[in-house]
Amino acid sequence: MDNKVKVVPRYGSSFKDRLYLPAIYQGMKITFKHLVGNAADSNAVDTLEYPEEQPTDITDRYRGLHRLTHRQDDTIACVACFMCATACPADCIFIEATEREDGEDEKMPKRFAIDTLECVFCGYCVEACPCDAIRMDTGIFSLTGNSREDFVLEKDQLLAHKGAFGEEKSRARK
Amino acid sequence: MTLAAILVSVISLVVGALLALLMIPVLVWLERRGAGLVQDRLGPNRTNVFGFRFGGVVQSFADVVKLVLKEEYYPAHIARHRWLLMLAPMITFSAALLAFMVIPFADNIVIDGESLRMQPLPVDYGVLWYMAIGAIGVVGIFLGGWLSHNKYSLLGSSRAGSMMVSYELPLGLSIIAFVLTYDTIDFNAMVTWQSGTVLGFLPAWGMVVQPLGALILIVALFAETNRNPFSVSEGESEIVAGYMTEYTAMKFAMYFMGEYVAMNSASAVIITMVFGGYQLPWVSTETLLAHFNYFAWAIMLVIPAIVYLVIRWMRKNNRVRPTVISDGSREFEAKVLSWAMIGMTVVVEAILLYLSFSPDAVLGTAIAVTLLQIVVFVVKLMLFNLFFILVRWTLPRFRYDQVQRVGWYYLLPLSLVNLFITAIIVVGVN
Repeated sequence: MDNKVKVVPRYGSSFKDRLYLPAIYQGMKITFKHLVGNAADSNAVDTLEYPEEQPTDITDRYRGLHRLTHRQDDTIACVACFMCATACPADCIFIEATEREDGEDEKMPKRFAIDTLECVFCGYCVEACPCDAIRMDTGIFSLTGNSREDFVLEKDQLLAHKGAFGEEKSRARK
Repeated sequence: MTLAAILVSVISLVVGALLALLMIPVLVWLERRGAGLVQDRLGPNRTNVFGFRFGGVVQSFADVVKLVLKEEYYPAHIARHRWLLMLAPMITFSAALLAFMVIPFADNIVIDGESLRMQPLPVDYGVLWYMAIGAIGVVGIFLGGWLSHNKYSLLGSSRAGSMMVSYELPLGLSIIAFVLTYDTIDFNAMVTWQSGTVLGFLPAWGMVVQPLGALILIVALFAETNRNPFSVSEGESEIVAGYMTEYTAMKFAMYFMGEYVAMNSASAVIITMVFGGYQLPWVSTETLLAHFNYFAWAIMLVIPAIVYLVIRWMRKNNRVRPTVISDGSREFEAKVLSWAMIGMTVVVEAILLYLSFSPDAVLGTAIAVTLLQIVVFVVKLMLFNLFFILVRWTLPRFRYDQVQRVGWYYLLPLSLVNLFITAIIVVGVN
């Protein structure tokens, strides 16, 4: 047992430590170096000057704004099964179903809206979707608007969002 | 009183008020930008007026607008005597402001054989004034904390009060040692004393003559201004915001600004007593007046170099990373400011050229020397304020009992020893 005990030296009791001034001097040297170095070349400071500079480190797992995917023939992939709306913990997905006329499938959404002010960006809708019809791979991290209504994204807007990582079509639908 | 005397007193009052009040936004900005740069951030640099950012100073004015427009909140128990709650920050603020008013920012200017003080309050007992008025600031802090009916506020203000008591003693004793050394209680005479040399080559600054006294003075003044590492009275990790907890909007801002004015006054006192005040090292006012043309030529050489460096620095830093985007408005700002600086340089050079070739212009030379001393004073003041800020972002806050121990166990005996030694030397030498 004894050979495993490591004695950590306790600092702070020597005269130099109790004088406190050498430590202050050392600390001041470090902060002064940072101050002068960064003031001399502020662009070397490793921060993102946001509106001008955009983040470049958004990975393909990043949950950005939602989008609705397309089939191979560029029609909507969603079949209005309400799985996403059921899974949604924030109750922010509003779907009205209608009959699909072109024979590809039976149902499609007449209205598909997401209230992004309610959305918690948990990604459960993406996981719940059986058709790979809703995804959060747009890489869009900011949405601005002047009224609450601006933040309710309708079907057309969601279809218009592009995927940021090259996958445009639904993989589950032909 | 002659016209010149009235003019000089008005001008020095205006300059003193400007130095104290205009320094607030600059210091707030400097603190925030300095903190940012120390911590590898940028700090506030976005706010602008018509595209002119001035490095972000505009942020301070925006903050004032915000604070003025904020909701005036009063604690429920202050039903009738709200003016008392407002009086408290006013006391702190005006005490800090008045304490600054006895600092000379240039030597006495001689006009027509009449020696006029360049001091907002032309008194010759500046040290006493500073010690009397500077200590009143804590009354406002105590009043505010007590009136707030809040345990945190009361704790904060009682901490401030007890800290004031424990640090006023070493401060006073170290100042007495300085008074013994300089044999005066007049700030201006102190600066004049410091314009000589000791041991033949060192400037006779208080830092050199009285190193221990200077150290105690600086530490005690840090405590007096409630700055880090002695900011226990507002220690937000323990007592929310201390005495300011119940204060909002402009009432809070008065405390906030009072802190910066106090810091500015403390810097001014330190440089006046310890770092040679408005004097350039090794150069007394008489030397400046007698050989002004040499100094004028030296300044004429130095100013363009400084302006060139500042412009280069500004063009390099007043922009987003050039690989990312080119920012037209900031380039325009840099261009306008560069031309303004070049224009001012040309004007200053022309005036100096005229003065250096006209030995008869006694009044002009006197005014130029005064202006030069004001510039030196402001530069030193800014450097020491920067030191205050750097200390704040370097050191952690002392625990309250540590603060008291430093004050009573170390600083008080040290200042007594210092006073004793100084007295022996002064008596022995004389």
